[in-house]
Amino acid sequence: MTNHFENLSINPSELPSLEEVNFKPIDPNYLKVSLISSALFFVALVAGAIAIIEFSDFEEKTNGYLISMGAILLFLAANITLTILGFKKKKYALRQRDIIYTKGLIWSVRTTVPFNRIQHAELKQGPIERLYKINSLKLFTAGGQSSDLVIPGLPDDEALSMKDFVLKKTEEDGAEQS
Amino acid sequence: MEQNNHDFSIPQRQPSVAIGIILIKFFRMTIKAMWPILVSLVIGRRAGSTFDDIILYVVIGFAVYNLLGSILTYFRFYYYIKDNAIVLDKGVLKKTRTNIPFERIQTINFSQNLLHQLFNVVSVEIDSAGANKSEISIDALRKDEAIALRDYIMAEKKQLIEESGTEEEKSIIADKSPSDLLLHLKPKDLIKVGVSQNHLRSMGIIFAFVFTTINEITDNISDFIADQLGQYESYVVNNTLFAFVASVVLVTVISFLFSLVNSILKYYDLKLWLSNNGLKLVRGLFNREEVTINKNKVQMVSWSTNPIRKIFKMYTLQIAQASSTEVNAQKSKINVPGSYKHQISKVINMVFPSEYLGAEAKHFISPLIKLRIIFFYGLIPSALGLSTWFLIEEAAFYFLLILPLSFFLGRAYYKKRSYEINEELIRSNSGIVGTENMLTQIHKVQAVRVNQSWYQRRKQLATIKLYTAAGELSIPFISLSEALQLESFILYRIQTDKREWM
Repeated sequence: MTNHFENLSINPSELPSLEEVNFKPIDPNYLKVSLISSALFFVALVAGAIAIIEFSDFEEKTNGYLISMGAILLFLAANITLTILGFKKKKYALRQRDIIYTKGLIWSVRTTVPFNRIQHAELKQGPIERLYKINSLKLFTAGGQSSDLVIPGLPDDEALSMKDFVLKKTEEDGAEQS
Repeated sequence: MEQNNHDFSIPQRQPSVAIGIILIKFFRMTIKAMWPILVSLVIGRRAGSTFDDIILYVVIGFAVYNLLGSILTYFRFYYYIKDNAIVLDKGVLKKTRTNIPFERIQTINFSQNLLHQLFNVVSVEIDSAGANKSEISIDALRKDEAIALRDYIMAEKKQLIEESGTEEEKSIIADKSPSDLLLHLKPKDLIKVGVSQNHLRSMGIIFAFVFTTINEITDNISDFIADQLGQYESYVVNNTLFAFVASVVLVTVISFLFSLVNSILKYYDLKLWLSNNGLKLVRGLFNREEVTINKNKVQMVSWSTNPIRKIFKMYTLQIAQASSTEVNAQKSKINVPGSYKHQISKVINMVFPSEYLGAEAKHFISPLIKLRIIFFYGLIPSALGLSTWFLIEEAAFYFLLILPLSFFLGRAYYKKRSYEINEELIRSNSGIVGTENMLTQIHKVQAVRVNQSWYQRRKQLATIKLYTAAGELSIPFISLSEALQLESFILYRIQTDKREWM
């Protein structure tokens, strides 16, 4: 790789690149959770559409049903495809001094937060996630909401040990600092 | 600190003028929350229905409640100093006691509105590090007392740190260099600042205000406008050009005056001092603010200019501090319009280590961004515009004008978008009509993000975003290998830097 930055004391191409890191996929149960929650959403959408058609004075109800259900089906198909394909892109990695999370099928995003910049960590579990015993790990930085890191789909025990590990690392790296 | 006539250990109330100040604060809050009801009441009264009378009683009741509330607030508010901490007792129904130890106090800021100035009192804001609820304020204190309080707290804090502080903290305290006045906005400069404001923005604010007001008064804007226009229809048909020119001139003059008056009110007699610890800013005509900025808290320095301001060789300097809450994010950014180049470089010299400042090579972004801009801001809008052909026929061709416009937009954007980096600092340059520059220390970055859209993946490009505690800095459309090198270098620098970011 050519060096783009000659003025730096360290050649960035000699630093460990994030491309070579072994990323771990998140728990497959997370895919089920996201599919169930989108199914619930679509049930609500269909119910809403039926209510609108039945309670308003449409002249041609069949046409109304055809158009609305067609649109919803199309939307549902797109949603399911994107959820399934996008799931493979959700991966994370713990390195010696930072934590990385990647996601995004069409717009791929890779966020890296160094341990010595983490303010606090918390675990979150929604009702459907509780059924499958998975958690989301939320890491807060001072960089504001947009830079907070959320890793979904972690099994209960793994999530807990990961949170402890991150907090321990944060303390170590932070203590080194001052 | 020989002002021992102030004894801060006894719980004290604010001077009695504070009642008035609290009351006005309460009234402003009430009116802000309820002005749509008030406006509709004034209009609705003409109809004279009983329902409106009920609303009126509700409003009066609410106002009386606020009045009583503010008086009680005044009588239940005490401040004092105990065990090296400032303590505030307050609360009408629920009593609260806030206790801030001196070591945690970062800055103490004063501000004065017109009433404060008349009675020679100041409102005091104490900013502390850490926790979420980091700000406490006292509505009014006599000016000499406030200054004595600040001097006392700062002197005590200094002593505490000398006894048991870290080396870094000691070096900050030990530094007693006097502060110099770096910038003073004289009336001539103030006028220049007013003239070179962004008048389009003022126009937007005025339009937004007019529309929301109309929206509150009448239920249906389009009916209202059709009504109004209907009356003038015959007049307009006969005098279209005149009416058009007249309204353009009127709107321009109003927005110009609005931004001029606004900047005079806000930046009147602005003064900026520099010392080795940080900066101090005072500004405003009716509402006199005083802000102290700690050098360590500064996360980013930006400076920008627009074509008119460029004629005067002036820039708007913005100093962004770390903010503990999202709500305060806007407040912690301090704008100094009408700064000249040498003043900006002095501020940067002071805030960021000067040995690293220098001319670095400019890295430009990929020219492919021009095509993207033409595609998103030119092709798609003009295609959408053309598709209205069946509605407006030939007039749809006017939408094709967007295409050359987007071409120039893309060219201007590409020409000015670049970044510079060295061991310590990273700087981003951008702008279309004006220019904007942002500078931050690499170790103050909190998180790094690399984004790739579907198109960028095909072209081996990426966008890198750096998040600091006072906003983000992004560099779009650089080659993937460049982005990866930047990413690993910045991460390496954050992880190995032993300095605190705040």
